[in-house]
Amino acid sequence: MASPVSEYHSSSLDSRITSTGRNSLKMELLADVSLLPGEDRITDQEIIYMCPFNGAVKGKVLITNYRLYFKSSDTEVPLALDVPLGVISRVEKMGGASSRGENSYGLDITCKDMRNLRFALKQEGHSRRGIFEMIFRYAFPLSHSLPLFAYVNQEKYTENGWLVYKAMEEFRRQGLPNNKWRITFINKSYDLCDTYPTVLAVPFKSKEDDLRKVAAFRSRGRIPVLSWIHRENQAVIVRCSQPLVGMSGKRNKDDERYLDLIREANDTTKKLTIYDARPNVNAVANKATGGGYEGDEYLNAELVFLDIQNIHVMRESLKKLKDIVYPNVEESHWLSSLESTHWLEHIKLVLSGAIQVADKVSSGNSVLVHCSDGWDRTAQLTSLAMLMLDSHYRTLRGFQVLIEKEWISFGHKFASRIGHGDKNHADQDRSPIFVQFIDCVWQMTKQFPTAFEFNEHLLLTILDHLYSCRFGTFLYNCESIRDQQELRSKTVSLWSLVNSKMDIYLNPFYTPESGQVLYPVASMRHLELWVTYYIRWNPRIRHQQQSPVEQRYKELLALREEYLKKLEQLQLSDSSSPYQLANSTTPNTTSSTASTPSQQYTHLQTPF
Amino acid sequence: MEHIRLPKVENVRLLNRVSPKRSRVGTLYLTATHSIFVESEAGGRSETWVLHSLVCSVDKQAASASGCPLLIRCKNFQILHFSIPREQDCQDVHLSLQRLSQPQRYEELYCFSYKPNVDEEERRRDWAFVDLKADFSRMGLPNAQWKLSPVNQQYKVSDTYPAELFVPDSAAPPVLVGSSKFRSRGRFPALSYYSKENHAAICRSSQPLSGFSARCLEDEQMLEAILRSNPRSDFMYVVDTRPKLNAIANRAAGKGYENEDNYSNIKFQFMGIENIHVMRNSQQKMLEVCELRSPSMSDFLEGLESSGWLKHIKAVLDTGVFIAKAVAEGISVLVHCSDGWDRTAQVCSVACVLLDPYYRTLKGLMVLIEKDWVSFGHKFTQRCNHLAGDPKEVSPIVDQFLECVWQLMEQFPCAFEYNENLLITVHSHIYSCQFGNFIGNNQQERRELRVHEKTHSLWSYLWTNRAEFINPLYRQNHSQSQGLLRPSTAPYCFKFWRGLYNRFDRGMHPRQSVEDYLRVIREETQQLEEQLDSHKQKIAELKQEQGWSDAHRAAAFDQSSTARALGKNLALANTPQDYTGSLLASTPGAVDGLLVLAPQDPDQTADPNLSNGSDPESGIADVSCRSPLSEDSARDPDPDSDEAAYSAA
Repeated sequence: MASPVSEYHSSSLDSRITSTGRNSLKMELLADVSLLPGEDRITDQEIIYMCPFNGAVKGKVLITNYRLYFKSSDTEVPLALDVPLGVISRVEKMGGASSRGENSYGLDITCKDMRNLRFALKQEGHSRRGIFEMIFRYAFPLSHSLPLFAYVNQEKYTENGWLVYKAMEEFRRQGLPNNKWRITFINKSYDLCDTYPTVLAVPFKSKEDDLRKVAAFRSRGRIPVLSWIHRENQAVIVRCSQPLVGMSGKRNKDDERYLDLIREANDTTKKLTIYDARPNVNAVANKATGGGYEGDEYLNAELVFLDIQNIHVMRESLKKLKDIVYPNVEESHWLSSLESTHWLEHIKLVLSGAIQVADKVSSGNSVLVHCSDGWDRTAQLTSLAMLMLDSHYRTLRGFQVLIEKEWISFGHKFASRIGHGDKNHADQDRSPIFVQFIDCVWQMTKQFPTAFEFNEHLLLTILDHLYSCRFGTFLYNCESIRDQQELRSKTVSLWSLVNSKMDIYLNPFYTPESGQVLYPVASMRHLELWVTYYIRWNPRIRHQQQSPVEQRYKELLALREEYLKKLEQLQLSDSSSPYQLANSTTPNTTSSTASTPSQQYTHLQTPF
Repeated sequence: MEHIRLPKVENVRLLNRVSPKRSRVGTLYLTATHSIFVESEAGGRSETWVLHSLVCSVDKQAASASGCPLLIRCKNFQILHFSIPREQDCQDVHLSLQRLSQPQRYEELYCFSYKPNVDEEERRRDWAFVDLKADFSRMGLPNAQWKLSPVNQQYKVSDTYPAELFVPDSAAPPVLVGSSKFRSRGRFPALSYYSKENHAAICRSSQPLSGFSARCLEDEQMLEAILRSNPRSDFMYVVDTRPKLNAIANRAAGKGYENEDNYSNIKFQFMGIENIHVMRNSQQKMLEVCELRSPSMSDFLEGLESSGWLKHIKAVLDTGVFIAKAVAEGISVLVHCSDGWDRTAQVCSVACVLLDPYYRTLKGLMVLIEKDWVSFGHKFTQRCNHLAGDPKEVSPIVDQFLECVWQLMEQFPCAFEYNENLLITVHSHIYSCQFGNFIGNNQQERRELRVHEKTHSLWSYLWTNRAEFINPLYRQNHSQSQGLLRPSTAPYCFKFWRGLYNRFDRGMHPRQSVEDYLRVIREETQQLEEQLDSHKQKIAELKQEQGWSDAHRAAAFDQSSTARALGKNLALANTPQDYTGSLLASTPGAVDGLLVLAPQDPDQTADPNLSNGSDPESGIADVSCRSPLSEDSARDPDPDSDEAAYSAA
């Protein structure tokens, strides 16, 4: 199975030199591309890639129904591009048949992953018409009544990623249902809320009828339901959308009572803390469109605004960031340029919001989190807080569960935010909310390098396939549509790929410690720009296949293993002989892989 | 002692800048060398030691109901905020500390009273630990082109230069003397680094006294001689590290820069590194940003940018890269600034780090600092404010060098044998005056002060404790450990050095360090290797005793040979270090100024020579924050963390 991930992901872009034994005649230039099962060649053509770092590079481009592949024919500049068409947000023609100047006639491709690609063609004979149409067609299949590539993909994996998350199993892992919380199937045909999953956890004392009444008072029927429960103190994280208060300040007794039921389900919660992710002004403004926030009529509750900006602000912020890092990184005023994007400021606010949620819950206080619709900022806050609180989500599989649960099943609008297969690049619904979440996770892994079972490569892989459309994982806005499109039976899950080759996503420093709550420092002195993601296309970024720290640690681990084995052997051969070595207490080899270095360390004693 | 107006104040509060609730009450003692704050709380009694020579400023602030605040800023970026109940006491402590932290005479400096448990012979041997002659012979000198010149033996030609200098063989003494007369402070061009492989050299000097048109035949001959000592190159660079405007301004004072027309085959280049005053102000501004309690994104990034600090670091590194590249291409370089002891020292030493892997080893860094900074006369006394003097002469020039090395370490994590902790420790001791190395401005002064007879050397002390300073990622055979380093100097590659400037804000540091994990496992591996060896030895002994059968012997031989091969691999993979005895000595902190003291009687704690060689310099007793595996490291949202998120909301 080819692994396109490593081919087009960061380090190898622009530098992949094919080592296939075949001759490298021009005809054969594209012979080394290994296509995915189900991937078909559409067209290929001589073209010039206008590389922002190396200048014009002659070569050949191959378009399939999945990717754009370019390979330079110039042996001086061994360069290859492997771009899934799903990454493309916009294709434009530049120059006309009569444009002057070298390489002024061609294509300009804007990508969703912080880069642009420009190609130049010969001006005679409408040479770009065919390729433009093909890219346009296959990059935006939904605008051309074609299926997304995920539905054509025939890849087979040993693991089935669709089995990673089962709502009931996850509730059981959390210890649910219990005498305070029950599982309801009221939404099994999505008629309570079409953007929620079918299985929900609600207060034990709530009636199905109450839920329907509450749904009428919450934006899009997204009622407060349980996301996570603290095993020891039974405090919970509950998520929902904004209440439909409106200008007139409507009240809803059922909603008020329901929130009180949530509070009562935990003995130590005197006041239910409601985190409204929005800035106060935005929440007020939402009243004009029928929304709003919980007022004083909610007794036994306190409301906190977390000041996180909306999707439009985030989109513009990332756009500004792209402007200062691609193709060239801003030189003269790097820090103030970075500041003017506000990207890190937004990261800081999201992280500190999550820290507050986590802190409240771990001190035995139930919380309710919402924003406007409860599928963007709310997903960020609940999932990050859960990542801080529950070490299970910091494992490779646990992290997949977290994404499946808080993002995918609870209806983060991936299709609208990413625009899979849609030509409408200027859609106001686009926003890098999920990228921002992954960035926050990355910031946490930087601060707690031993707390996460997965490594940066997993995060990069997830972001690459957020756009690629090779897997079904991030397609569509909610579960009801996924069912309708038979997504899980017709496409492959990203987790199939990941779990079939887990070792490349593992962090060698991982030291499992359950019950640890992680509180990252959301300080400007600690947050850094994720250079290896946002600036990864720049060849000046020092690409390391594997971080030297990781590599060295792995080497040492292997060496230790070898020594332990050696020692054991010596002892075996020794005990089989009549001459016993005095005091030989060999370290316990079986525990070596599982235990932390420190634990291991204490076991070791030089026997002589 | 006569400066201590008040040896002891009770009920002093040591305020916690971040969370006032965490302030501690205790007794403040003033001794001849340290201020010591002893927490009076039973049980968790901790001590904070501050060396007087590390105190940068003492400010008494307006008294309030709760007491009279006293703010102590240290040269190692520690800030202590005391509150003293009685204003009169505060006044006395203030005046005492002001005097104690600003000695008038060299003899008052701590190094002359610092007496660790080292016998005289060892102390003398320690001073020989770093030997510059050995470094020059490592470079292959003297040789046919370069010789050791006795011209400055009595410091007659240049009183700020060392006695022993390498100069081109073809430069006769009259040329040297003539050239020295045409250079500021007589600092004529002398060799700083020589590349054995391609014969290119880095020479350093001060500016020529060229004014608007003056010439000097000997100086021209001198440069010619340097050029000719590198036969494979037909030109050489003259790098003036100053901005062009500054150099031009100097011409009016009869100084200036080389005129390309007067010297044969030189390429002249300005580099634009700012002067000591700009650097001092820049660091001041940056430190103000560091002190912000909970800066917003714009406060921090814009404050950092407008301080210009990282821009200056970039200018120094850029110049170092320029010089290193030239030398790597076989072209000799003469470097100067105005006097040739600030910017010149910076860029020559940075270029050396880039060029020669040796200077990326622990011993190599010591040699480098001794060579380009100590022996070539960087004015430590003024720049580091060791003695009360002109505040305009103070400047963080050597800080910038250490930071350049740190920035390189961030880009090349496997290239350096030493770690960040070493840089921080060296930084701290440059200012602490605990060791004799950085006392006085030049060799002549040090001889007169008899520094080598009366004080201890930092280098052997660091070497003894080297387990703390080794970068576990370093490998001699790694590509980064070889040849020229080619760093990227794009602005986004320069990071803020939290580890130094916010060193004492413990809430601000990551609570898990991968490096510690690496160290632990490396030690384990080493232990296992030893275990293996001793097993093998034992087996061999037993075999000899019992007279094993041939078959047995053959089998055993097999095994041990593979094991030996393994051992070799390890030796390759690691720098072979002598770890005997220090395997378990992983107590962090003792060296870098953090000291944990078990409660003991005050008499004993007041004694500055605590234990063999450990450094009772200063610091908050706290080791837990440095241990990667400490239980509480992540459990509670560290209330110390000044920016612990909720304050952000």
